[in-house]
Amino acid sequence: MDSFIATGLIGISLGSQYTLLALGFTLIFGILGVVNFAHGGFYVMGGYVAYYCNVILGLPYPVAVMLAMLSMAALGWLFESLILERVIEDHQATLMVTMGFYLVMATAILMIFGAESPQFPFPVTGVWRLGGIYFPYANMIVLGACLAAIVFVYWLVYRTNIGRGMRAMSEDLPVASALGMRTKALFPFAFALATGLAGGTGALVTPILALAPHVGDSVLAFSFLTVILGGLGSVTGATCAAFIVGLIEAYAAVYLGGSKGALTLFALVLIILVVRPQGLLGREVRRS
Amino acid sequence: MSSHDLKPLPAETRSSLLSGHDWIALVFVAMTFLIPVFSTNPQVLSQTNLILIAATAALGVYIMQRLDLMSFAVPSFMAIGGYTVALISMKLHVTDVLILAAAAFLMPALCAIPLGSLILRLKGVYFVLVTFVLTEIVQLLLFEAGPITGGANGLVGMPAVKLFGFELWDNPHVLLTTCGLAVLSFAITSLFTRTFRHEFAAIETNDVLAESLGLAAWKYKAMAFSIAAGVSGLAGFALVNMLMTAHPSSFAPMSSVNYITYTIVGGKASILGTLIGALLLVSATDYFALSGEMSPGLFGLLIIIVTLVARGGVVGVVSGLLYRLVGKTTPLNTGETGHAAQEHANQKEGRP
Amino acid sequence: MTRQALSTSALHADRIAKSFGGLKVFNDVSFTVPAGGLLGVIGPNGAGKTTMINIFTGRLSLTSGQVMLGETRIDGRSTFENALMGLVRSFQQTAIFNGHSVETNLISALRFSKRDRSVLERLAPLLDQFGLIENWHRNADVMPYGLQKMLGLAMALATQPKMLLLDEPAAGLEKSERVNIDAYVKFAQEEFGCGVLLVEHDMEIIKRLCPSVIVLDGGRLIAEGPPTEVLSRPHVINAYLGGSDEEDSDVTH
Ligand SMILES: Nc1ncnc2c1ncn2[C@@H]1O[C@H](COP(=O)(O)OP(=O)(O)O)[C@@H](O)[C@H]1O
Ligand SMILES: [Mg+2]
Repeated sequence: MDSFIATGLIGISLGSQYTLLALGFTLIFGILGVVNFAHGGFYVMGGYVAYYCNVILGLPYPVAVMLAMLSMAALGWLFESLILERVIEDHQATLMVTMGFYLVMATAILMIFGAESPQFPFPVTGVWRLGGIYFPYANMIVLGACLAAIVFVYWLVYRTNIGRGMRAMSEDLPVASALGMRTKALFPFAFALATGLAGGTGALVTPILALAPHVGDSVLAFSFLTVILGGLGSVTGATCAAFIVGLIEAYAAVYLGGSKGALTLFALVLIILVVRPQGLLGREVRRS
Repeated sequence: MSSHDLKPLPAETRSSLLSGHDWIALVFVAMTFLIPVFSTNPQVLSQTNLILIAATAALGVYIMQRLDLMSFAVPSFMAIGGYTVALISMKLHVTDVLILAAAAFLMPALCAIPLGSLILRLKGVYFVLVTFVLTEIVQLLLFEAGPITGGANGLVGMPAVKLFGFELWDNPHVLLTTCGLAVLSFAITSLFTRTFRHEFAAIETNDVLAESLGLAAWKYKAMAFSIAAGVSGLAGFALVNMLMTAHPSSFAPMSSVNYITYTIVGGKASILGTLIGALLLVSATDYFALSGEMSPGLFGLLIIIVTLVARGGVVGVVSGLLYRLVGKTTPLNTGETGHAAQEHANQKEGRP
Repeated sequence: MTRQALSTSALHADRIAKSFGGLKVFNDVSFTVPAGGLLGVIGPNGAGKTTMINIFTGRLSLTSGQVMLGETRIDGRSTFENALMGLVRSFQQTAIFNGHSVETNLISALRFSKRDRSVLERLAPLLDQFGLIENWHRNADVMPYGLQKMLGLAMALATQPKMLLLDEPAAGLEKSERVNIDAYVKFAQEEFGCGVLLVEHDMEIIKRLCPSVIVLDGGRLIAEGPPTEVLSRPHVINAYLGGSDEEDSDVTH
């Protein structure tokens, strides 16, 4: 029973990490209509920036996380306004440039830091225990930070004018522009917000999970799984799906072992595609 | 109804089934049969082998591009084709190359039908996401299904294939097998895409209109997905035959990005683009002695550059240049849309 | 086409209703387009006319009610099945295959509806009148808007439908081009024996062509009858005056 609860806690903290990634991913899709193949790249690069600031430069870890977030937001802003913006009308071209940018990012990391995983330990060690339940402090801190970030994103999306503009755009682009919202001006902002989140997640999570140039691949695949499950473009759908994915992964790792967890998830996604193609909370596929 | 004489309907414009680009690509691929005659240099042989396999695999991307769909599924179907062949030759001791080729094509093509009917109902974006996830699933399955696939060891020690009882075992023979599979794949692809060119063009440009005129778009999408899977399977056969091993690492998920790059950088509008893209990029990777480390970055840069400044890819740019030089429709053009394309170009120049 | 075949192709909407989530577009609407007959549909923007056509062709699902083509229930079936049965629509905006010649566009329409070239021969006088034959080899999407629109209409007719659903065919056409619509509708009815459902804002066209119209407003069918009579009813005029300026000008001239 205790290990069941402990595994649940791990699942929830995994879920909160996936939520941050999936929220960014789904915001970019909802607002810009772009599938961001570079999302995993921002995650990994965030991890490396934090590693460089914290381990090499000796800056405090929280500062390193902030710097990772800001630099990835800045990089996202630049990428969006210099490259993505120019092809934003052509969905296939947006796919190509984000994919190309991911390859460039991954190669750049490889050239700068090498293929070896660097030593990037979480600064806080130790385990919290209550009876038979163990939960590492590191996971607890990450969980707290992720939950705070999720609350921040929800506040931004549902309580501010910027968020209202973003939601209007993800629901109906022509209407939003007709209402005089500065559609285009929101694009780089939304993109930077999402990539900043990805970078911050990388900075927080890679010390616990793994830091290596290629970990972005699987992050991307998991983001895809999450949004297919939750419904592409749905903020709440992404959140629910991310926690489902996290819990399944955690329990499968303990009780089934190996990569069975991933296979379970794939099976789940296939079933979802059969019975509810628009995802758990996606709207009826819109045809106009 | 009007005072002037009725204009008769212009005579039907007939266009040949295969376009100039299709013929050039086919002849080009078929000429590789001659390479073993002129060279026994193992370097040349293996390089040609790699280029042909890359081009064949990228045909899977090219076919789905007819429908404006980006497919990451190539490595999955290559794996199905490759492992099918390895299993048949090692467990059932069937080594006839024709039977194996049929199996390598049919197995993935059949698997693609239920899968395609599932995901092709969805919007284009979902298709991209699902094919990407699919490559990850297949990779995992290859590792997990140890008793069948040999798990992390793969299936090692495939026997040489035979053609009419004649064993194709040494390097030149292996290249000949690859050439045969490549010619077959290019022929299937050009015949298929050109036979249904009206249907594919219509679905790509305006699927809503096409359906409202009576076209069952999903049938053509499912068919394209299935044929693309079959052709990928043939590439998988060529790959395991060259390596004499079926191993998960030959079908890594991210290798799908390479095949996409060949097609896009070469020029997605014609089959020649896929061939030229594979030729140039595989050679470049080898020439610059780029180890596996650097080439993804180079590919990424090329993809961005082509997408931003040269949508037509290498073939598009070159035929654009030829068009300017000659000053009229290039002989490479299909003829059928030549008139319209020419006017399009004129209009674009006239009114920027 | 025999009388027998025609009688099986009346379009009958039976108490149909449609809503998108909470938004009710229309409710409890019933009418019939007789086989080979012509029914006009008018109503302010947003009344649900295009949505109705989308439902008939199978692009959208019905919330309740049913639609019959002859003896067959057609709502909820796929668009291409309905098209192959002879229920074909035109689009409010231009809808053609961009980047292809006029010829290729028409040939595609023939291929998809499994018709042969003889249909094109029969259509030739109409194609000539619209100016499409002059532009036979031109890239369709660089032609003027009016020609593109007529090409779209010609493609719908080239499928030899039993029932044509025309969504504002005259919208965006010059005044001088609008006689083409009259010719088109007459040709469809007389030469091909098509039934026609004509959604249109141009009241002159409606009055010239339609023996009978229905008026949609606020989600209901508010009037039905001969156009001159219906258009003089006070509540119909009100419905239009409550709409946007565009329709006002259409109804007053
Ligand atoms: N796919 C859709 N999703 C949600 N609302 C829609 C959709 N299509 C149309 N509507 C709404 O239905 C109403 C009717 O639209 P429409 O049929 O286009 O009107 P009309 O053609 O009569 O001008 C409008 O209020 C429109 O906003
Ligand atoms: Mg309308």
